[in-house]
Amino acid sequence: MAEIVLSGVSKRWGSFVGVDKFDLTIPDREFLVLLGPSGCGKTTTMRMIAGLEDPTEGDILIDGKVVNNLEPKDRDVAMVFQSYALYPNMNVYENIRFPLKVRGADPATHKDKVMRASAMVELDDFLDRKPAELSGGQRQRVALARAIVREPNVFLMDEPLSNLDAKLRVSTRAQIKNLSHELAVTTIYVTHDQIEAMTLADRVVVMEKGVVQQVGSPTEIYNYPANTFVAGFIGNPAMNLLDGMISGGVFTAAKTEITGLQAPDGPVTLGFRAEDAEVTDQGGQITAPIYTLELLGDATMVSVRIGGVLVSAKADKSFRAEIDDMVSIRIPHDHCHLFDATTGLRIGDKPG
Amino acid sequence: MASKAQRVPLGLRLTTSLFIIVWLILAAFPFFWTLWGSFKVELDFFSIADWTNALFGPRTQETYGSPFTGAGYYGAWVQEDFWRAAINTFIVCFFVVCTSLTIGTLGGYALSRSGFRYTFWLLIIALIFRAMPPITLVAGYMLPFFEWNVWGILPTTIIVLVAINQPFTLWMLHSFFQNIPKELDESAKVDGCTQFQAFRHVIVPVMWPGVITTGLFSFLLAYNDFAVTSMLLSESNRTMIPEIAAFLGTTYTEGNVMFAVAAVVSATAPLFILVMFFQRQIVSGLTAGAVKG
Ligand SMILES: Nc1ncnc2c1ncn2[C@@H]1O[C@H](COP(=O)(O)OP(=O)(O)OP(=O)(O)O)[C@@H](O)[C@H]1O
Ligand SMILES: [Mg+2]
Repeated sequence: MAEIVLSGVSKRWGSFVGVDKFDLTIPDREFLVLLGPSGCGKTTTMRMIAGLEDPTEGDILIDGKVVNNLEPKDRDVAMVFQSYALYPNMNVYENIRFPLKVRGADPATHKDKVMRASAMVELDDFLDRKPAELSGGQRQRVALARAIVREPNVFLMDEPLSNLDAKLRVSTRAQIKNLSHELAVTTIYVTHDQIEAMTLADRVVVMEKGVVQQVGSPTEIYNYPANTFVAGFIGNPAMNLLDGMISGGVFTAAKTEITGLQAPDGPVTLGFRAEDAEVTDQGGQITAPIYTLELLGDATMVSVRIGGVLVSAKADKSFRAEIDDMVSIRIPHDHCHLFDATTGLRIGDKPG
Repeated sequence: MASKAQRVPLGLRLTTSLFIIVWLILAAFPFFWTLWGSFKVELDFFSIADWTNALFGPRTQETYGSPFTGAGYYGAWVQEDFWRAAINTFIVCFFVVCTSLTIGTLGGYALSRSGFRYTFWLLIIALIFRAMPPITLVAGYMLPFFEWNVWGILPTTIIVLVAINQPFTLWMLHSFFQNIPKELDESAKVDGCTQFQAFRHVIVPVMWPGVITTGLFSFLLAYNDFAVTSMLLSESNRTMIPEIAAFLGTTYTEGNVMFAVAAVVSATAPLFILVMFFQRQIVSGLTAGAVKG
């Protein structure tokens, strides 16, 4: 059982900054997800926690103890690698047993523990196979079993589902969620898939270019994005972002006028989610010709062009119109998010 | 049944078969000729009058009462103590292979896992040394070896052969190690290994075919070396190759050509056995780069 503290952790290669001043406390048993676009430093952060990479600056504490100078083997973490990293010369049973063997666990208990771990990930039928004789999903589960077999303090998983097909991804995701609950271990999970992040996480860390953008529960991140990056990254589709001017509580941009907002006068970025908007014939805050119309099954997505950007709104699934028909989009002012036009930071805690 | 894609036109099949047969004959002929001739007397094998004498051996028949004779082998192994040269060769090869594999595996692993830039230059320097003809090194060694009184003995030769061979083993093993994903060591370390245990339990088993292949090449280098062994070994410490050369004789001493021929055949036989024995490892070692670990 472990609490992990990252205090001012940075990683630089020459002048290139991989991770910049990462500060975070991860309480015991939390399921934390690192989320961000490719190359934002998620893997690097995780490797520093595992001890495979030395931080350039800052301290990493596990259970209140600075572990910067500890070898990976002395940190009691288990890691699932992005590429699985199974030992090709050993069969599945020996792969799973390997951590027990090198850590000198009592040999009499090996078989029980391996069988328990392999049962958890439903691998019992494959114990005699070599990794080369397994499918991607099965290899994935071997890597998971190898990580859980010795009941570590901390679980580190680096995009463990990235190589699986959509169906297997859903079932393995459920398996991981269940496992982490059952084993009650602190888990750090790296992904660039936001659905994975939303479904698994107790808390999500959104990163970009090595910098932490926001830390919060999936709901917080979705409902109160801390800046335009998070707003534009989370959600499908991402939040609509419009650059415009505010004066006397009225936001104006091309073809757009929204009243009832509270913010100091000046340039701002306004954001709202497609599902918070309503598509009508007239009387909305945005009036423009339809640019595209997408039928999603449970809804119809209507997009219009405002300046250079596309703005989408979700309409009822029975909504039908032609491209270039005029529509009006109604946006309740208490569903609008305002961001500083230059820094991109959120203005005010609540929408509106 | 062969699928359509696998079916090869008859003409092409004939050409390739023909090519392979011709090539096989060209490659194998000298060896079989020597093997056959090693059971004849010199006047037959090197007959000026009629080359078919080498095939049917009339003089051998005359001298020994049979077209085959083991006289060459008897002369080389018993009279001239060729077995001593064989033992020397064995000693030299054994120590050269062990030393260069040990240094090569550890060094190649370290270089392949080191993130520093000097790795590249170290390997380039190794390549340059490898490219120089061994004889250039040996000439420079002679004087100091005489001075220190270490000329003529086996350990000196072993050290020089290792030095010549090391760049190659280092290169070869380095590239084998580079093909093994880094995550494998890292995974082992997270699972509880020290760096050395990761090397020992995870990397070496995966590397085994590569080690065997490299070892075999080192062995062949030491086994077949003439430049170093002929110049650095005294007469009583000679290995097989310089000994065979001595049988052939020089302008000053008269040799016995048939002893040399018999010795050549004796020296080739172990190579066949060795390659047959390690065949599978060699093939998988040579193709190891083709598959991802
Ligand atoms: N050894 C290294 N030397 C120099 N730069 C590196 C090194 N390792 C990683 N980087 C850089 O650090 C940045 C962060 O890399 P990292 O692997 O953490 O990304 P990531 O968030 O895991 O991305 P992905 O989702 O694609 O796996 C990248 O821009 C990468 O190019
Ligand atoms: Mg990554």
